[in-house]
Amino acid sequence: MSARRDLRQQQELIGAIQPALHVSQNWNYAVDGALYKAYMHPPHDVGGQFDAPGVYEEKEEEQWELNTYVTCEVLGWRGVWNSEERRRRADNDLGYSLYLGIPYYGRWILAAARMLVDKNHISLAELIEKVAEVKSRHAKK
Amino acid sequence: MPKSKPPEKAQKSSGKARFKPGDRVRVKDLPNLFYSRTQIYVRGVVGTIAACTYQDIIPEDEAFNRDGRLEQYYIVRFRQKDLWPEYPFENDTLQTESPERWLEPANN
Repeated sequence: MSARRDLRQQQELIGAIQPALHVSQNWNYAVDGALYKAYMHPPHDVGGQFDAPGVYEEKEEEQWELNTYVTCEVLGWRGVWNSEERRRRADNDLGYSLYLGIPYYGRWILAAARMLVDKNHISLAELIEKVAEVKSRHAKK
Repeated sequence: MPKSKPPEKAQKSSGKARFKPGDRVRVKDLPNLFYSRTQIYVRGVVGTIAACTYQDIIPEDEAFNRDGRLEQYYIVRFRQKDLWPEYPFENDTLQTESPERWLEPANN
């Protein structure tokens, strides 16, 4: 039953992206002061952190990235949010896994969508169904 | 420029229940975005309507304090073996509750 196998694979992947200190964390009964401080650290404050060597490439913004930027700016001009709220949502509120895992403008557009739902400009059910509709339209292409 | 305001509250409506006890339904596999009460282990699986329970606001509205429209809820019964292929007992079932928008008729 391939759908069940897909589910298992999805669950393994979900497990694999859970934050771990090389020891899996799952509803700890207590955290010591240093660990608490580490958990509460804002994800975007990365200065001085260790990192593995990486290759950085020069690249132009893609169209969806420009569209995202403009959408977020227009939402600002219309007074729906301001740039500090955008930073708070896109750099902080998404949490470490999403902050580190998805593209820069992916965080922006997720933050914008969440803000529009939080402020009741769109309903979450409406948004989910629209995303499903667009996905199925693209799948048919 | 005037500040953009959230839209008016959604209209309440109480349509007729789309499913009745005994109907076979499949749980939709909609994208996960911000919040869901629909467990991934029931998505895409066919079950049977065990009961039409009540009408209520859906979790996706209530979680964001949105005064959404009322929707019919159902108790859906699944065979454990359909959910977990390695499950050892043929006759065991699992029931869970779902609002109408997460269910579609199963053609079988």
